[in-house]
Amino acid sequence: MNKKNTPFRLLGLTFVLVAVYLVVSIPFKVMEVIPGFTDIRPVSMLQPVYGIFFGIPGCIAFAVGNLITDIASDSLRWSSIAGFIANFGGPLLFYIYWDRMSRKPFDLKNMKNILRHIIVILVVAVVQAGIITPAVALVYPDVDHMLLFGTIMINSTAFPILLGIPLIIVLQEELGFKTAVKIKKAE
Amino acid sequence: MNKLQANICLMCVTLLWSTEVIIFACIPNSVEPFATTAITSMIGGVLLCLCFFKRIKNALKNGGWKLLLTGIFLSVLNCSYNVLYQYGLKEFDVSTGAFTISMTVVILPVILMMKKQSVDKKTWISASLVLVGIVVSYLGKLDRISVSGLLVLIGGCIIRAFYIIRLNEAARKYDPVPISAMIAVFVGVISFVIWFFIQPETFAAIEWNTQIIASLVIHAYFIVMFAQTLNIFAQRKATPAASTIIYSMEIIFSLIWGMTMPSSIVTPVTPDVYMLIGAAFIVIGNLSEIVDFKRKAVKG
Repeated sequence: MNKKNTPFRLLGLTFVLVAVYLVVSIPFKVMEVIPGFTDIRPVSMLQPVYGIFFGIPGCIAFAVGNLITDIASDSLRWSSIAGFIANFGGPLLFYIYWDRMSRKPFDLKNMKNILRHIIVILVVAVVQAGIITPAVALVYPDVDHMLLFGTIMINSTAFPILLGIPLIIVLQEELGFKTAVKIKKAE
Repeated sequence: MNKLQANICLMCVTLLWSTEVIIFACIPNSVEPFATTAITSMIGGVLLCLCFFKRIKNALKNGGWKLLLTGIFLSVLNCSYNVLYQYGLKEFDVSTGAFTISMTVVILPVILMMKKQSVDKKTWISASLVLVGIVVSYLGKLDRISVSGLLVLIGGCIIRAFYIIRLNEAARKYDPVPISAMIAVFVGVISFVIWFFIQPETFAAIEWNTQIIASLVIHAYFIVMFAQTLNIFAQRKATPAASTIIYSMEIIFSLIWGMTMPSSIVTPVTPDVYMLIGAAFIVIGNLSEIVDFKRKAVKG
């Protein structure tokens, strides 16, 4: 059966991905895991997953999900615009790397590919911290910028590496998820 | 999934298990441990059933009663060792208890040997290194070790070893998703029955607030749904002995949490020299199991 990516299907997919994002992120906004260090975001583990497996709809879903979480947790600020851009750009960078820059199809079957994936994660984290931190500094000069930069770096690296890599392995190897990159090349 | 990927997944499972203490710290002590297990397992099980309804239905059609009985049997084993751990750990301080639980690493290869199954030389070396690590961690506190607590924990370790062996067999025979869903649901049911006997008011006894709900949901997602399913998938490629050795890394992660997290979350741990040497042995034991020295030597 030819499953074409009609606008209706893509919209449906985006809604589902936003819902999954919210299901994972909302409990962490409610629960204060470490007092004084509340913004722990394991949902960042979904960032490479959304970019690599779902392409542009995944990028939109990740950014919209983050925005809705900000609204739901009463943390919508002017800097959320930068947050939206960074959270759209993060998954997009994974998609661009594996779709345009890498000559090999995406998989995490050997140490070399895993290290390559980790390097992309680090680059994405630096880009995201580089977008959000100056924006927050501009609007809220009294915020501890180094702490904010560190928090974004930890969230955008630790969770995609520690939880995201095993999740990708299971999705790709065991549950048969196809990457957005692969679908494009096949078409 | 290849062996490297299976080892990565097992390491992730171990890391997630070690964070249980952090999640539990956000749940008040007034909530019974069986209540936590019952609720989180049920949430995890129901979510797995909803997400993979078709897959589970097909597996039950093909596997039939055998699959269902396997799920029930694994759940009973799972609950049994958890009950023994809960009672045994009351007699120990946090760190010594964590080291003792790792005794499964040594018990499991012995059980395999008794079942006349072969165990790699490398696994024996790794298990021995982990055992040395556990014994060294005991030095300096031998007078504080409770014999009854130790026996209860060893009982728990024996049941856990059987559980890992049977889980490994089931993972190779059946689809891991239905097994994970069934274990979650049946563990939830069994824990609920125990909870009902301990606290007949069950749900009404909990003073519900957003913090408790969020903690239970997070535990259900990450420990029950994600870690358990990931573990069963990884078991397909890993041997029971190798997985147990990787599980022993939980102590190292727990030590790290104990040293770095605030005291409001985790019982602070100030490791003495014996614990540090013990931990080093456990890490070396893990590395010798995970790293493929033979392949490297051939390549080199």
